[in-house]
Amino acid sequence: MKCAHAWLMAAMGLAIGLGSLRDVEAQGIPQNIPRQELLILENPEGTIKNAGWFNIWAINAGSQSNGLQQAALDTLWYIDPEKGLEGAWDNSLAAEKPDYNADFTQMRVKLRRGLFWSDGVEFSSADVKATVDIQIQHPGMRFSAVLANNVASVEVPDADTVIFKLKRPNSRFHANFTVRWGAIWILPKHVFEKVEDPLKFDFNRPVSLSAYTLHSYDADGKWYIWQRRDDWQRTSLGRYGKPGPTYLAYVDPGPPDKRVIAQLNHELDVIHDIAPEGMFTLARQSKTTTAWFRGFPYAHPDPTLAGVIFNTQHEYLSNKDVRWALALMIDVKVVAMAAYRGAATISAIAVPPTGVHPEAYHKPMEGWVKEFEIDTGKSRFKPYDPTTGKQIADMLRPSMADAIPSEPAVIANSFGLGWWRTNLPAAGELLERAGFKKVDGQWMTPDGKPFVLKLMVEGDLRPVMTRAGSMIVQQWKQAGIDARLDVAQGTLITRRAAGDFDAFIGWSVETWGGHNDLSYFMDSWHSTFVAEPGKPQPLRNWQRWKHPDLDQIIEETRKIGFDDPRAVELGREYVKLMVREMPIIPVMAYNVFTAMDHTYWTGFPSSDNPYANPVPNWGNSRYMYVRLKPAN
Amino acid sequence: MTDYLRYLLKRLGQFALVVFIGVNLAYVITHATPIDPVEQSIAAVTSFGNTSPDAIADMRRSLQELYGLKGGQVEQYAAFWSRIVRGDFGPSLSAFPTPVSSLILRALPWTVGLLVTSTLIAWVIGNLLGGLAGYYRHNRGLKALGVIAMGLHPVPYYIIALVLLIVFGFVWPLLPISGGAAMNLQPGWSWAFVSSVIRHSTLPALSLILIGLGGWFLGTRALVSNVITEDYVSYAEIAGVDDGRILISYVMRNALAPQLTGLAMSLGGIFNGAVITEKVFGYPGMGTLLVDAVYAGDYGLVLGVTTVSIVGVSLAVFIIDLLYPLIDPRVQVR
Repeated sequence: MKCAHAWLMAAMGLAIGLGSLRDVEAQGIPQNIPRQELLILENPEGTIKNAGWFNIWAINAGSQSNGLQQAALDTLWYIDPEKGLEGAWDNSLAAEKPDYNADFTQMRVKLRRGLFWSDGVEFSSADVKATVDIQIQHPGMRFSAVLANNVASVEVPDADTVIFKLKRPNSRFHANFTVRWGAIWILPKHVFEKVEDPLKFDFNRPVSLSAYTLHSYDADGKWYIWQRRDDWQRTSLGRYGKPGPTYLAYVDPGPPDKRVIAQLNHELDVIHDIAPEGMFTLARQSKTTTAWFRGFPYAHPDPTLAGVIFNTQHEYLSNKDVRWALALMIDVKVVAMAAYRGAATISAIAVPPTGVHPEAYHKPMEGWVKEFEIDTGKSRFKPYDPTTGKQIADMLRPSMADAIPSEPAVIANSFGLGWWRTNLPAAGELLERAGFKKVDGQWMTPDGKPFVLKLMVEGDLRPVMTRAGSMIVQQWKQAGIDARLDVAQGTLITRRAAGDFDAFIGWSVETWGGHNDLSYFMDSWHSTFVAEPGKPQPLRNWQRWKHPDLDQIIEETRKIGFDDPRAVELGREYVKLMVREMPIIPVMAYNVFTAMDHTYWTGFPSSDNPYANPVPNWGNSRYMYVRLKPAN
Repeated sequence: MTDYLRYLLKRLGQFALVVFIGVNLAYVITHATPIDPVEQSIAAVTSFGNTSPDAIADMRRSLQELYGLKGGQVEQYAAFWSRIVRGDFGPSLSAFPTPVSSLILRALPWTVGLLVTSTLIAWVIGNLLGGLAGYYRHNRGLKALGVIAMGLHPVPYYIIALVLLIVFGFVWPLLPISGGAAMNLQPGWSWAFVSSVIRHSTLPALSLILIGLGGWFLGTRALVSNVITEDYVSYAEIAGVDDGRILISYVMRNALAPQLTGLAMSLGGIFNGAVITEKVFGYPGMGTLLVDAVYAGDYGLVLGVTTVSIVGVSLAVFIIDLLYPLIDPRVQVR
């Protein structure tokens, strides 16, 4: 009895002791900062091993999305992948849009005045010129190559005018100074001109040009805290009002499960990305969490098109019949369920189904896509099924009930429109035309060997895409292809550049999202940039595909202005060519499950109020700051 | 020359040879990686925006020059050893131009602090309880402990870690589940910082102790069970030597010799870091550094961490070899 009493007392003592810890320190929030003045966001770069490095102009030396590019740096223009605060295009440090001469060999920029660096020095054209000159003079810097390739000289006739003289015509040169995810950030001349070797300069503490400045950081790279500048009005963001949070903490919250726990404990206001299951848990258990879509599929679709990228230099994949046959063996509904548990926004055409693109490409072109016909030599058929998005919604409705929208327009927006109908007989006819034969249920190549096709996936590093790849491999196997999953893990980037793959799950189409010009990715698809087999391929034409019609589209795009309506027409020509040739199988937008907790802050962007991209590592997520309000 | 000095020199030679072979193997393996650090850097840079293919070709050339990857294999190997003997691992390619040694020195105290403490605690408690359980075989409490240890020992580490995380981080959120210390605290010898470090290391340490304790417990219990059947123990019992003295001087001293080797190996191995612990609990340290370096193709950093680890393990074995003749008189120095 005495023994039991002693155990009970000890247990009570321990419980009281542990309980008191809770009062001493909350679990995972910064100390000595009022929580109601602090916005906590995930930095998806994780733990930064070189935490004290803020020189973003040195290659790959420190963190970029630790708040540095979102809260402290600035550049000439921004294009939001959504609608933006006052339109997707924002003149940030520039006072107006870029002004090119007739042959696009000169770009004139008018700058805003009255903007100041956080150390009180006024921003001027000298900073823009120094940004270019210093990087050209030091070839190992982040933007040295792109600037040296393009810029002959920079002239600054006065403090608010910059004239870029280009080495050759480039109607899209401004894209280098326009933030999508990031861009060429403007560096402070008055700091860097005193530095002997800018490659070895850590820029610690950083001088800020945007509304926040560094408050403190963890030497072990787990967290960074930024404080709103007292003179925030003297920054480009100040035009939109006072940023809500006094402090921003960009943290490494750990693996996806811990991010969910942290948000349920209200210690992480914005999760960058989690697995679909984590999002469903938050939607079920947290009354204060919202995502981009009010209900299913929750995730924010990035202007990035995930799909199957063929190596078109492969002996058999150079044949469009083989590529189309492989596309017709896929049931995209099952792939969407496997990858995102159905929370995917599909696209049959090679443009991401997000931002302004559905209105410019997907919807107006649906008529053409519906009528598109494939002639296998034995039969003719129209492969497009306009109801695929609706079918995915219907598949999910029994288990997700009210979370699944029922209005056709909302379904189209959330799940996408149609996709290519699975058609194994037609796929077989196309393979036969390519010289393949089916023997005992197995497709054999023209030289009589089993058709082995390896699909490269990233593995644990990108689980959602890996799930999609696994399902596609399974479907190809069921159709008689000797398909195999090739898990590349960390070697994907090297192998992708080397062309060491048959096909992989990934993307080679990335767009502005908020602007319909497709040159952001398309220009690099010109045939002059396609590497010989075995040589490194420059981004983004990982499929190493070339076509004279595509070259013509690219060359004409180069000759017209960024806002020229002809650019969309050329974009539609590109879409038609891609459908006919199928060098990549478009599958879906790269969906990011950004979850936002409204316990301390309200006013986050959403599909109902798409004023900014909420994904917190994007440079343009800064526009969130000025719309966030304390939640009582 | 005394026998012991000859023994020491022989072991020193073995130590140097093991380190030399180990570092060379690490060099070969890391340089055989299919990951190209230049491509990794280019991928990071070009994720920023629209970079023309011409510019990327120029960038590739600049980076190869900057990272010192342009010379032949023999030149690179010679440069590597000339740096190593000066204690310089060169710059990290994924955090260029920061020296690898700076990154290791920043991570090392966290790893050493957590793993040395938890390894020692697990070793002391596990051996003590294992020794008692082996000696007092009929004690019901110690038998129950044996059952718990046997049940706990085969559970995969990450299960224990996740259970602790969910119980103490979510269901009963008493302890921090991420980081080495609270955010926005000035590192130093202040009570606020030290107590925060202790609180943050409690769950990771507990997970390591729970998983480590079972092995030591079962090992020592088995060793003690053997030792107590030895003639000298029976003779001591018959001679009326008291139980405590038999346990400490006759049984534990003999049973602990192999466990000391195990401890030395465990302590030497801590320089690898505890990757899963660091990932699950978001704890800073060498493990995360190593994994990130592997994924980035940063072979300078991988080599730095593995070299420290090779030297750590070899040094631990070397020290134990030197101490063994002093601990166990049965070990011959000749």
